Amino acid sequence: MILLRLISWPYVRKHLLRSVMTTAGIVLGVALLVGMQTANQSVLQSFNQTVDRIAGKTQLQVSAGDSGFGEEVLERVEALPQVRAAAPAIEASVDTNLQGQGKLLILAVDMTGDRSLRDYDFENGDEDVIDDPLIFLAQPDSLIITRDFATRNGLSTGSKIALDTMEGRKQFTIRGILKAGGMAAAFGGNLAIMDIYAAQKVFGRGPRFDRIDIGLQPDVSLELGESLLRQALGAGFTVEPPSGRGRQFESLLGVYTAVTGISSFFALFIGMFIIYNSFSIAVTQRRPEIGILRALGATRGQIRTLFLAESALAGLIGSSIGAAIGLALAHRITHFTAQLMDQLFGVPNNAQEVLVDPRLVLGAIALGVIMSMIAAFIPSRNAARVEPIQALQKGRYQVLGAGESRTRRIAAMIVGAIALGCLPFGRYPVLLYGGFLLAVFACLLLTPFLSLEMARLLRRPLKLLRPIEGALAADSLIQAPRRTSATVSALMLSLALVTSQGGLSLASVSSLRDWMDGALNPDLFVSSSTNFASTEFRFPSVMEAELQAIPGVDEVQSVRTIRKDFRGKPVMIVSADMASLARRVRRKIIEGDEKTMNRLSSEGKGIIVSENLRELENIHLGDTIDLPVPTGALKLPVVGVVRDYSNQLGVIFLERAVYVRAFGDDTYNIFRVYAKPGISSEILRRLINERVGDHRHLFVMLNSEIKDYIMKLADAWLGMTYIQVVMAMVVALLGIVNTLTVSISDRRRELGVLRAVGGLRAQIRGTIWLEAVSIGVIGLVLGIAAGSLFLFYDLQMAAHGFTGMPLSYDFPFAIAAILVPVILGAALVSAILPAETAVRTSLVEALEYE
Amino acid sequence: MSNRSSEKQIGHECTRINTNKKEQSSSFLIRVYSCSFVALIFLWLAIPAVAQDARQIVDESQKRGRAASQHYEGVLEVTTSNGKVTTKSWQSYRLGSYGNSKAVIRFTAPAEVKGVALLVVNHPERSSDQWMWTPAIGRDRRISLQDRSTRFFGTDFSFEDLEERDVDQYDYRLTGEEPIDGAPCWRIESRPRQGKTSQYTLSRVWIRKDNYVPAQYENFIKDQLVRRLHQTAIRNVQGIWTACALEMTDLRRNSRTVLRLEKLEYNVPMKDDDFTVQSLRRDQ
Repeated sequence: MILLRLISWPYVRKHLLRSVMTTAGIVLGVALLVGMQTANQSVLQSFNQTVDRIAGKTQLQVSAGDSGFGEEVLERVEALPQVRAAAPAIEASVDTNLQGQGKLLILAVDMTGDRSLRDYDFENGDEDVIDDPLIFLAQPDSLIITRDFATRNGLSTGSKIALDTMEGRKQFTIRGILKAGGMAAAFGGNLAIMDIYAAQKVFGRGPRFDRIDIGLQPDVSLELGESLLRQALGAGFTVEPPSGRGRQFESLLGVYTAVTGISSFFALFIGMFIIYNSFSIAVTQRRPEIGILRALGATRGQIRTLFLAESALAGLIGSSIGAAIGLALAHRITHFTAQLMDQLFGVPNNAQEVLVDPRLVLGAIALGVIMSMIAAFIPSRNAARVEPIQALQKGRYQVLGAGESRTRRIAAMIVGAIALGCLPFGRYPVLLYGGFLLAVFACLLLTPFLSLEMARLLRRPLKLLRPIEGALAADSLIQAPRRTSATVSALMLSLALVTSQGGLSLASVSSLRDWMDGALNPDLFVSSSTNFASTEFRFPSVMEAELQAIPGVDEVQSVRTIRKDFRGKPVMIVSADMASLARRVRRKIIEGDEKTMNRLSSEGKGIIVSENLRELENIHLGDTIDLPVPTGALKLPVVGVVRDYSNQLGVIFLERAVYVRAFGDDTYNIFRVYAKPGISSEILRRLINERVGDHRHLFVMLNSEIKDYIMKLADAWLGMTYIQVVMAMVVALLGIVNTLTVSISDRRRELGVLRAVGGLRAQIRGTIWLEAVSIGVIGLVLGIAAGSLFLFYDLQMAAHGFTGMPLSYDFPFAIAAILVPVILGAALVSAILPAETAVRTSLVEALEYE
Repeated sequence: MSNRSSEKQIGHECTRINTNKKEQSSSFLIRVYSCSFVALIFLWLAIPAVAQDARQIVDESQKRGRAASQHYEGVLEVTTSNGKVTTKSWQSYRLGSYGNSKAVIRFTAPAEVKGVALLVVNHPERSSDQWMWTPAIGRDRRISLQDRSTRFFGTDFSFEDLEERDVDQYDYRLTGEEPIDGAPCWRIESRPRQGKTSQYTLSRVWIRKDNYVPAQYENFIKDQLVRRLHQTAIRNVQGIWTACALEMTDLRRNSRTVLRLEKLEYNVPMKDDDFTVQSLRRDQ
């Protein structure tokens, strides 16, 4: 502690800017980690809270995926003597059409029996929550809203609110107000209760329920109840406690959490290099100090501890600031993530509160401290090894020993070879992620050698460009490989991240476009909601004929998409007339013969699965899929595997008739409409809106609009990654500023001598600028090269780890082309302040230095 | 509303009824039950060996209320604790008597509930099945009655209050005699037997000695009086003594519900087909 105060603190105070920049990497890394993970946890927590609050006293829930199930299931459940209460429910989220109020979660229940499970007015047990229960049941426009929502919008009993229904926008009457708290706090207070039979009509559900909430008899255990219900209903139904819904949502959120987590760690990793760099430089600059301390009797351990304590303190301060910034950003990220989940998966979420998890915050701070200490470990060890006599000698410490360099090269070769060897085994996560880490490690091992060699190569062109400044800049880099290599490593890693993420994005976009061009080729899409992932509103089967009867319509493909648990994950089932799809849609066949596949699937004798489902679940042509459905089990062979990007967790294509039979659901949620030749899509859209839209709630989108919508979703998905990449770049550029600052500080005397012998300020400035540009060039070359290698791993991770979607390798030339001017420009900008500091330093002071 | 004024109001309607002088052997309790809007009110019928007198009284009350069918026009008035009054009217039809009766109630006012119909199918051994037809939604629904302690559509009656009960599931005890509205009554206590689920731990019923019509009920939960049903305007309609005004008071909520029976008729020709879920839809 005394050493910290007497030795470290004066140094930090003297080099305050650099100290700040040293911790900047940790600040940003921890900020990203805390912000992202807090947002993800908040979204998950919000979902769980909503589930929990509206579950009331529900012990078990019976569901069957998005398709729901027929009302007769309720009687089967009620017939079990172990069931005390069984309350059917439908959930849907609708736009409030009130400014700034977002969505309203509609919980539709049967109020005549639901009170056994839910307290609608828990404050005093009063049942006057509904003005007149009979009118509430008799009128389909009845709504109960929460006190919070009513207050926010100036609503009271008898007020009207406009909501979208299957029959267009309709006025609803507030017939009751829930008191604040408890269930009324679900979905951020944007909760409304509706009669379940009215909801069936409003949302076009037909005589079906989404789920049944169950309360068991007092003497029946949860396990027994679960088992009895499973036996009574069969495998097509999911029977689980309400918390099970949270697990399903978690699996949807999981991919996003993993992607953001990796990027956050990457940013932290880059931050480590800045710390390593700063501490290496600090050790170099403080050699005389260390020598004196050692001469005064300080042990090696004390020196090492001093530097490690400094790094821990820097890490603690940086992490704490980062955590605070992360928490400050978390609210916005939470809102963004919630919206993304709704758009991607149709799972509404109204996360209003940010969940601050002390474990996450403390863990992130601890991680920042640990990473800071790891980064400072080698410089600390080097500091401890300083001999008092050598400490007064100059020049030797910067030399990268030839033996050390050779050892690193050999190690890099071995590690690199192992990393490359792991690539073909991408299916095995350990080998894939292990290989990726080894590849990063190999690149890092090679960086000092490569940056030194590149600096040597650059000397000639730099000299040609500016004979004096160029030579001085190159020599500075060559003479101080340690100082340069850490910054280059950081820059390389961040540029590699940009390149590989950019490559991944481009590959995703390119693959998505190819797929959309082939699969999404109807002229118009008629959907029950603007959010295609949402299936809350459903069209009746008669609507197909209504659309077909419109003049100008050539063909209508009626589609029902649902999300259904398959092997523990919610996959998408697309049911349609498979023969019609086969005629119109161009799909890339991955496994199977096209003709046979189309024939068998349209005859209902087999299913087609998406390529990503094949990858994720190891399903192949000829395998029999056992799909639990409400009417029993559906066993069908896989007759083909096609490329399809409709769902990240996989798609199963099923003939419509088989679906209706198996799920007992004859509704649709999307119509694909082909116009007759010569008929404009715009005109057809107007006709559909006039003839069908006048009595049904629908959205008609042009082909271009739907493609733009999907691309926007893809951008939103990749958006957070882009932000993280930018953050990583900032960290790396901070590294350049740091390096140059130190470089100038190291060469203060040298620069002073230059000026004393007639060197112009412009020449000094030029030297520093060229040094910055050189670091940028080296970082660019190594970063893009490493990025092109990392891209292989990213594609493998996407294919096997996250989405199962194989993407083709396309080097992102465009991104590389953009990076060159950006990095060189940024390097020059980074050099402005250090260069000005150098030229403005007093000549006398500079000559006196050291 | 005082009991006397209720009697006066309702008496006019009741006297218009063509009374049948033939002696009825049906229990009077059943007559009261059949007059309620779901034709079911408290049947405290149990046969404990130690309370023979009480059981015999309740049994007789039941026998005197029997009729092949029944029709009336009901007016229901709910007065909340803050004085807000809502009124509803309906037509009630009942076929059969205790144990296997079927009843249909069709609301006629106010406009928001006009056409809403309720079908109740009673079973001697278990809770009744109930369906509701809501014309505005255009479908029927089965009414779930898992929590029978909840209020019946905003009235002060609970679903349990309206149920036909298995009388063997209660123990009865004659606890004395006491006049109600000036009429001498037997006071009988009943408690649910072990295994019987009821929100009430104790009930008291006052049965008039002159015509075996229950004049009042008091229902307790853990020794706290929670609901009181007071029956007045007792008239002989076609030989069946019937209470034409029923006032249920919820003492916890300080609210009350008054049911008035008008144009009451017994043994009106009715068909089984009129008491089906399909008929609810058909006859709207």
